[in-house]
Amino acid sequence: MENKLSDIILSLKIGRVMKITMVFLLMGIVQVSAAPYAEEHHISVAVENGTFYDIISQIEKQSEFMFFYKSEEIDNGQRYTLNMRDKTASEVLNAITRNNHLSYRIVGKHIIITKVLSTTQENNKVISGTVQDAQGVPVAGANVTVKGTTVGTITDAEGNFDLKIPANATTLAVSYIGYLTKDMPIGKQSKFKVVLTEDLQALEEVVVVGYGTQKKVNLTGAVDQVTDKVFNNRSVSNVTQALQGTIPNLNISLDDGKPTRTASYNIRGTTSIGQGGSALVLIDGVEGDPALLNPNDIASVSVLKDAASAAIYGARGSFGVVLITTKDPQKGKVSVNYNGNVSLQKPTTVPDFVTDGLVYAEHFREAYYAWNNYASLPSKINKSQLYSDAWLNNYKQRREQGITDEVETGSDGTYTYYGNTDYYHELYKNQTFAQDHNINISGGSDKSDFYISGRYYGYDGLFRYNTDNYDMMNIRAKGSLQVTNWLRLTNNMEYSDMSYHNPINVGEGGSIWRNIADEGHPSSPIFNPDGSLTMSAAYTVGDFIYGKNGLDTHKKELKNTTGFVAKFLNNKLRINGDFTFRNFDDNSNRRRVPVPYSTKQGVTTWLSQSYNDYQKTFGNTLYTATNLYAEYEDSFAGGHHFKGMVGYNYETSKYETSTVLRNGLLLADSESLNLALGDATTTSADWQKWRIAGSFFRLNYDYKERYLLEINGRYDGSSKFPTDQQWAFFPSVSAGWRVSEEPFWKINKNIISDAKIRGSYGSLGNGNIDPYSYLELLSINTSGYVVNGAKNKYAGTPEVKPKSLTWETATTTDIGGDLGFLNGKLRLSGDYYIRKTTDMYTKGVTLPDVFGATSPKGNYADMTTRGWELSLSYSDKFNLAGKPFNYDIHATLADYKSKIDRYNNSTMSLDDYYEGMTVGEIWGYESNGLFQSEAEIQGYVNTIIPSSANKKVYPGDVKFEDLNGNGKIDYGDNTVTNPGDKKIIGNKEPRYIYSFTLNGDWNNFFVSAFFQGVGKQNWYPSAESGFWGQFNRPYNQLPNWHLNNYWTEDNTGAYLPRYSGYTALSGRELSTPQTRYLQNIAYLRLKNLQFGYTLPHKLTAKAYMQNVRIFVSGENLFCWSPLYKKTKDFDVTNTSGSDPDLTSGTSGDFYSYPVMKSMTLGVSITF
Amino acid sequence: MKRLTYLFTLLSVICLAACSLDEEPKASVTKDQIFSSEAGLKTYVYSFYEKILPSGSDLNQIEVELTDFGAINNLPDFQVKNSYSEVNSDGWTWTNLRSINYFIVNCTNPGVSESVRNNYIGIARFFRAYFYYGMVRKFGDVPWIDKPFDVDDPALYAARDSRETVMEHVYEDLQFACNNITMTTDATGSMVTKWAAYALASRVCLFEGTYRKYHNLNLSTSANTWLQRVVDMSKYLMDNSGKKLYTAAGTAKSYRALFTSDVPVTDEVLMAVCSSADLGVLHHANWKWTSPTYGNRFSFTRTFINTYLQTDGTPYTSRKDWQTEGLYNECQNRDARLAQTIRTPGYTRDGVAAAPDFLGYVRTGYQPIKLCLDGTKYDNAALNTNALPLFRYAEILLNYAEAKAELGTFTNDDWVKTVGAIRARSGITGGLTSKPTVIDTYFQKKYFPSITDPSILEIRRERAIELCLEGFRFDDIRRWKCGYLLNMSWDGMYVPKLNVPMDLDHNGTYDVLFYDSDANLAAAKAKLDWATVSKTCAPILVVGGANQLQQVKEVEAGNPAAGYYLTWDTPNDYKRVFGEKQYLYPIPSLVMVKNPNITQNKGWENSASNDGN
Repeated sequence: MENKLSDIILSLKIGRVMKITMVFLLMGIVQVSAAPYAEEHHISVAVENGTFYDIISQIEKQSEFMFFYKSEEIDNGQRYTLNMRDKTASEVLNAITRNNHLSYRIVGKHIIITKVLSTTQENNKVISGTVQDAQGVPVAGANVTVKGTTVGTITDAEGNFDLKIPANATTLAVSYIGYLTKDMPIGKQSKFKVVLTEDLQALEEVVVVGYGTQKKVNLTGAVDQVTDKVFNNRSVSNVTQALQGTIPNLNISLDDGKPTRTASYNIRGTTSIGQGGSALVLIDGVEGDPALLNPNDIASVSVLKDAASAAIYGARGSFGVVLITTKDPQKGKVSVNYNGNVSLQKPTTVPDFVTDGLVYAEHFREAYYAWNNYASLPSKINKSQLYSDAWLNNYKQRREQGITDEVETGSDGTYTYYGNTDYYHELYKNQTFAQDHNINISGGSDKSDFYISGRYYGYDGLFRYNTDNYDMMNIRAKGSLQVTNWLRLTNNMEYSDMSYHNPINVGEGGSIWRNIADEGHPSSPIFNPDGSLTMSAAYTVGDFIYGKNGLDTHKKELKNTTGFVAKFLNNKLRINGDFTFRNFDDNSNRRRVPVPYSTKQGVTTWLSQSYNDYQKTFGNTLYTATNLYAEYEDSFAGGHHFKGMVGYNYETSKYETSTVLRNGLLLADSESLNLALGDATTTSADWQKWRIAGSFFRLNYDYKERYLLEINGRYDGSSKFPTDQQWAFFPSVSAGWRVSEEPFWKINKNIISDAKIRGSYGSLGNGNIDPYSYLELLSINTSGYVVNGAKNKYAGTPEVKPKSLTWETATTTDIGGDLGFLNGKLRLSGDYYIRKTTDMYTKGVTLPDVFGATSPKGNYADMTTRGWELSLSYSDKFNLAGKPFNYDIHATLADYKSKIDRYNNSTMSLDDYYEGMTVGEIWGYESNGLFQSEAEIQGYVNTIIPSSANKKVYPGDVKFEDLNGNGKIDYGDNTVTNPGDKKIIGNKEPRYIYSFTLNGDWNNFFVSAFFQGVGKQNWYPSAESGFWGQFNRPYNQLPNWHLNNYWTEDNTGAYLPRYSGYTALSGRELSTPQTRYLQNIAYLRLKNLQFGYTLPHKLTAKAYMQNVRIFVSGENLFCWSPLYKKTKDFDVTNTSGSDPDLTSGTSGDFYSYPVMKSMTLGVSITF
Repeated sequence: MKRLTYLFTLLSVICLAACSLDEEPKASVTKDQIFSSEAGLKTYVYSFYEKILPSGSDLNQIEVELTDFGAINNLPDFQVKNSYSEVNSDGWTWTNLRSINYFIVNCTNPGVSESVRNNYIGIARFFRAYFYYGMVRKFGDVPWIDKPFDVDDPALYAARDSRETVMEHVYEDLQFACNNITMTTDATGSMVTKWAAYALASRVCLFEGTYRKYHNLNLSTSANTWLQRVVDMSKYLMDNSGKKLYTAAGTAKSYRALFTSDVPVTDEVLMAVCSSADLGVLHHANWKWTSPTYGNRFSFTRTFINTYLQTDGTPYTSRKDWQTEGLYNECQNRDARLAQTIRTPGYTRDGVAAAPDFLGYVRTGYQPIKLCLDGTKYDNAALNTNALPLFRYAEILLNYAEAKAELGTFTNDDWVKTVGAIRARSGITGGLTSKPTVIDTYFQKKYFPSITDPSILEIRRERAIELCLEGFRFDDIRRWKCGYLLNMSWDGMYVPKLNVPMDLDHNGTYDVLFYDSDANLAAAKAKLDWATVSKTCAPILVVGGANQLQQVKEVEAGNPAAGYYLTWDTPNDYKRVFGEKQYLYPIPSLVMVKNPNITQNKGWENSASNDGN
C-alpha cells in the first residue's frame, strides 16, 4: 500500500507544497458500506520496538485495508511494542494513534491517518456541505480545511463533508488537485455548497519530461505541454492532424487532407540540410506511430524543445522530442465512458472551374494558338478528344440553335462530343460521413487497476466512385498490479489496425487531380449514349466509375510494454524498468487493370493495356526497447533539494519489406497474386536493422525552489555509425531563477505573481541517418531494360564513401522566462533560442566531372537557426445571471529563421544552398506590369524568358525589369555574385506561426474556439500548378477566376497576362518566379469550434450516469487568406505539391487530396 | 538491500549484452560478394545495358533533330544562330565510365576462372568503347581514364588526351571484346555478343577513319589504317557470324519488319533494344510519331524523298515530270523502302486508309512510319512493343563498302555483296551487278558536290535511305564534313493548286486543302459539302508573314500555274547555322572552372556562340 501511494507522494515531494489531502483525493475513495468490513474483519498485530510502518504493513498483509497518510506527519523515530490478537482495526488503530497526535478515519477499506487536531482549539461548531465542480459533479476527496489551522477533512464519494470547527474560525479553504483553491467565509452558515473551478494553468502543473515528470514551476528547459483537451470533441482521422497548430514551434506541415495523412514532427524550424531529421516521437516512452494512436487515449503531449530537455534521449533527440503519454487508470469504482460522434465532412474548397464546354474549348484554342505564335492550331485536346475549328464552329452553332445533346454519333459510329461536364462534381460526393466511437472502462483498487479502451473511426470516403474508405480500430489495455508493498508491475498493450483504399488511375500516372487537369475536358462527357465511358473519362473519373484500380494499405501495430516500479528507502529511491516490443505491419496491395472506353459505337478500346497487374507489399518492423532507470531524491536542511537519476536504454529495430508484382490478371477483379498469370514477376526486398544503446543521467538541484539547476548527459551509441564513431557523450545544462521567490521581491503578488528566468545550453549529435550509410554497398535493383528476355536484377555501383566522418551536431542555447500576473490569471511564457547545426553531412568539395561519382559527402556545412516562441494565457470568470462564467484565452506565437553559415558552393550558384543564404528564400525577377503595345516591346530590352513558341514577345506579356541595366533580361551566371536581373523576392518558409484558443463555460454550457495560422509566407505557384489553369497547358481545366481576368486590348489592366498556354511550363514566362505573381499565403483558420452542454447531474444520476455531455463541433470551418482574393479553388495549405503517395510531388501544387471541413455531433457519457 | 543488489545485477547484465553495435546489411551486397562468382559478375554487367544503352523511347527519337532530311517543329539551340555556347553545353558526364572501370579493376577474383572473367571484362570493355565513342564524337579530345578515381588522385586534374591516344585505347577495348566475349548466338537479340562487338568496332573505325580523312587530321595512325580496320572487322563478321539480310517477308515488308517486329529479327539484327508487353517495358514511338504536340513532328523533305531510286535502279529525278508529280504519282514504281518509311498511297492503319495527316502531324506530306506501328491503339501513350535495332547486318555491309571505296579497293564483287544486295532486298532490279559508273547529278548537286566517285556517292545515298532515323545521319554529316547540309531549306510535296481540296492517296476522301486567304477558303468550302469533307480534310493556310511557318513556294518562280512545293519554317532558315567549330561541341564552361587544365575546343573559347564560323 505504501508504495502505491508513494507514486503520488513522489510527485508531492517534488514540490513539497502540495497539501497532504491531495493524496486522498487521488486515491479515488470508494464508498462502499464498509463498516461491516472494518467491524467483521479481525486482525492480529505483534511488534516489538517496531515503527509505525511495521504495524500498518502487518495490517495490510492480513486485510484489504489500504492506508493513506502523509509521510512527513509520521514520526518514524517512534517505536511501538504491541501484541494484539483478533482485534478490529479500530482497536489496533486506537492503540497506535493514542499518544502520538495522530487520528484515523475508516472509509470503506481505506484508513486515513492524519495529524490530530490541535487540542488547544475548541471544536464547538459543526458544519457540513457538498463540493462540486462547475458541471455539478460531486468532487470526492476534496480537502476542506479551516484556513490557518490544521483542522480539516476530506469529502466523501458524494462530495459531502462534515467538520467540527473552532468557534473563531472565519474562512473555509476548499482545494482539489487541478482546481483553484476556494476560500469561503464561514459566518453563521452551517451548510455550505462549494463549487470548484478548474485551474487550467496551475503552477502545480506537472509536466512530462524525459524519463519522469517535473513540476512546471521547476522547469529549466524549454518544454511545452498540452493535455487531452486538444483532442476532445474533434473529428479528426489521426492524432497528427489534431496536434497541428496546438504547440508553438511544434511544426506539423501536412501535405494535404487525406485521412491517412500524417507528417514528421518538426520542432523549431529547419533542422539539418545534411542528414535532415525531425523530432523524436515517443508514445509512453517508446517509439510508435502517432497516426495509429487512439486520440482518446492520450492524457498529454509534451514537447521538449531545447537540447537540455532532450539530451536524455541523446542522438535521437537532437531536434527535439515529443512525448505522448496515454491515460492512466482511474482508481476507485469502475467507470465506463462512451464518446461517440458522427460528422459530415466536405472539402474546405472545391475548385470553381468552367464547366461550359464551349467556353472551355474556345479558351483552349486560344491558349494553344497564342503560344504557337498564332500559327498553328491543335488537332486534339491533349490525347482524349479531337479538335478542329470546324468542330468548334459546330459547337457554337449547336449552342445558338439550342441543341443540348452532348454526343453526336456519326454514320460510322464515331462519337463527337459537345459536353459540359463538371468533373469535380463527378469526382467528389457532396458530403461524406465519418463516425467515431470510443469506449473506455477504468477502475481498480490500490492493489490493481486497469484501463481498457476501444475505438472505431470510420470515414466513408470523399470520392463519388471507387471511394476511399478509411477505417481505424484501436484497442488498449493498461493495468498495474501491486505485487509487494515495494514493487508494482505495469503493463500497457496496444493494438491498432488501419486500412485505407486509395483509388488510382492507370490511364496516366499520377493523381486524379492532375489527370482531370490533363484529360478531364469539360467538352467531353463522361458517358457515351450506350453507357460506355468516353476516353476523357477513362483517363479520369471514368477509371473510378469502372472501380477496379486502387491501392489498399493496411497497417497493423501491436505494442506491449511491461514494466515495474520498485521503491526503497522510504521512497527516496525508485527504480523503474520496462520492456517493450512492437510489431508493425505495413502492407499494401495495388491492382491496375486497363479501363474500357469507346470512341466509336460498339467498339471497346482499353486504356493502358500495359498495366494489368497486382502488387503486394509486405513491410514489417520489429522493435524492442528496454529501459532501466533509478531515481534518488532527498532534501536537506536549509532548503537544499537534490534529485538524481541514472539509467540505461537499449533499443533494436529490424525492418524488412518485400514486394511482389505480377501481371496478367485472370479477372479485372482478381484480388490475389495467385490469379496473376503473366510472365512478368518483379520482386524486390529490403532489410535494415539498427540498434541504439545509451546510459544517461540527470541531476536536479534546487535551493528553496528559488535557484534551479539541471544537468543532463547521455553516453549514446548507435549501430548506424562506423565502429569507431558509434559512441559519443552529449551533456547539457540548464538553470532557472525564480526571481519572485527572492526575499527582495516586493512586488504585490496580485500584480506579478510569479517570475522566472531560464537558460539552457546543450549539444547533441544527430543520429537521424539511414543504417549502413557509411558502408560501400552495391544495391540490387530490377532493370527496366529487357535483356535476355527478362528484366534482370542488376548491381549498382557503390557511392564513394568519405574516409573520415564525425557526427553532425546541434547545439542549442535557449533563454526563456515565465511570468504570472494578476494572481496567476495571466501567464506569459517565452523562449528565444539559437540552434547551430554544425558539421552537417552535405555534398563534398566540387571535383572535376571525370571523378564520375558524386563527390563524397562530408561534414561540410553549418547552419544557424534563430527563433522564438511566446505563449500567453488568461483565465478568469465573472458572474452572468448569477452563475459564474469561466473563460480562458490561450495564444501562441512562434517564429524561426535559418541561415547557412558554411556550405560547399564556391561558385555561389543559386541552384543550391550557399553561404549566407536564408533558408527558403525565393529568387526571381521583378515584374511590375504587362507590355501594352508592340511599340513598348520594341523599345524595350530582350528577354531570355520565352512567352511563345518562337520566343516572340507580344503585347500582354509580362514585362520583366532589367534590374542590372545590362540591356537584357537574364540570370547572369545564376550566382549570388552575378544573378543577372534576379533578386530575392520572398521566402517560402512560414513565419509568425500563431494560434489562439478561446474557452468559456457557463451553467453547464461550454464553448471553445481554436484558431491557427501563419503570419507571413510566400508561395510561388510551381510550373504545373493548378493556379495557372490553361496557362499551364492549354487543355487544362479553366478556373472561373481567369475569365475576364487576362490581358486583352480591351482589358489592359488585367491581372493575368495575354491568354497563352504553355507559359507556365518550367522555365517560361509564368513559371519563372517573379514579383507580379508571387502569392501571400498567410492565413488564419478557425480550426475547431465547439459548443456543448453537460446535462445536470440530477437528471443523469437517475439514469445511473455520472456525466452526460452533448456537443457540436466544427473542424476547419473558416479560413482567411490573402490568396483567397485571387483564387479559392484550393485550400491555402494545399500548396506544397501534388499527392505525395501517387506522384513524386511535382505534378502541380494543389493536385492533392483536399483539406476537409466537418460538422460533428457527439455525446460523451460516463457511467 | 538484497533487492537492490538483484536489480543492479540485472541492469549490468543487460548493459554488457548490448555493447557491440555493429550491424551488417542483408539486402545489399559488398564488393567482394559481387566479384566472387559468375552470377555476381553477370548481375553487375546487366547494369551497363540499363545505364549506357539508349532505351526504346530514346532510340526511336534518336534522329528527330540534327538531320538534313527532316523538317521539324523545334530546332535545337545548337543549330540556331548565336544560341549555343559553352554555357549551355552539356554531356561532360563520366558516371558510367566510373561504373565500368570499377568493374574492370575489381574483376580479379581468382575464384572465378580467367576465361569467364575475360568474357565479362570483354563486355565491360565493349561498353567502355561505346562510351568513349560517344565522348570523342561529341568533344574530340577527352581524358582517357581506365580506373575509378580516388578523391585525391592528381589525374582528376589532368588535361585532355589526344583523340589519337583515346581512340587507340578504344580500339584495344574493341579488340579485347571481340576476342574474349564468348557468346556468339543470342536468340533474344538483346545481348552483347561477339558479333555485336565486331559491329561496334566496324562502326567506330569507319567514323574515325573517314573523320580523319575528311577533316585532314594529320595523326600518326592514318585514316587508311582505320579504314582497313573497318574492312577487317566487317569482313570477319560477314564471313563468320552467319548473319544475313532479312528477306523472308518479301520485298514489300522485309525492310520494315526489322523495326516493327516485337522480337528482333535475328537473321539480320545483331543486337536490339527490346520491349515486352508482358514485362511492361514499352516505348513511345507511336505517340511521338503521331502526336501533334508530343514529338517534334519530323517530316521528310521532298529533296530527300527524291533520292529514293525507281524500281529499275535509275534516279527518280530522271523521270520527265518528276518536278510536278503529286504524292500519289511520285510514290509509284519506287524503291520498296519508300513505302516502308513514309505513308504512301495504300498505307492503312487498322484497315483504314491513312493518308499523311496534315491536321495532326505532317508538315511536308512525307510522314514517317518506319519506327512506329500501324495500330492506332499504340498512339496515345508509351505502348509500343516493337524492338528497335542497335546493330544490324545491313550497316556492316555499308560500312564495309564505304571503307573499301574510300580506300580505293572497292570492287564489283563488293558492290554485289553490299549495296547490290541491299537494293535487291528492296525490289530494285537494275544496277545490282556492277558498281556504278555514272554520277546522279541531282544527288551530287544537292548533297555532295565535292564527291566525284560514283561508288562513294551511291554508297552514301544507300546509307541515308537504308539507315534513316536509326541515328547515323548526324555522325555521317560530321565525319564527311558536310555540315552545310543542315542548313538546307525544308521543302515538301507538290501542290498543284491552292484552295482546292486534295485526295493524297486517291482513296476517295479529301485529305487536305491548302488555302491562301480566308475568303478563298470560304469560297472553296461553299463549293463542297464541307460538313462531310471537313471530317477528313484539314484546311491549312500557306501564305503569310514571318509567323507563318507553313508556306508554299512556286515550282517555277513567277508562274503559279505550274504549282507549288510546300515549305516548312523557311522564315527561320536564316537562323540555322553550322560553322566549322560545330563539328565538335564546346566543353561546358563549368568543366574548365573545375579543372583549369582542360582547354576549350577551337572556336568555342571565351563563350563564343555558334555564329556560323
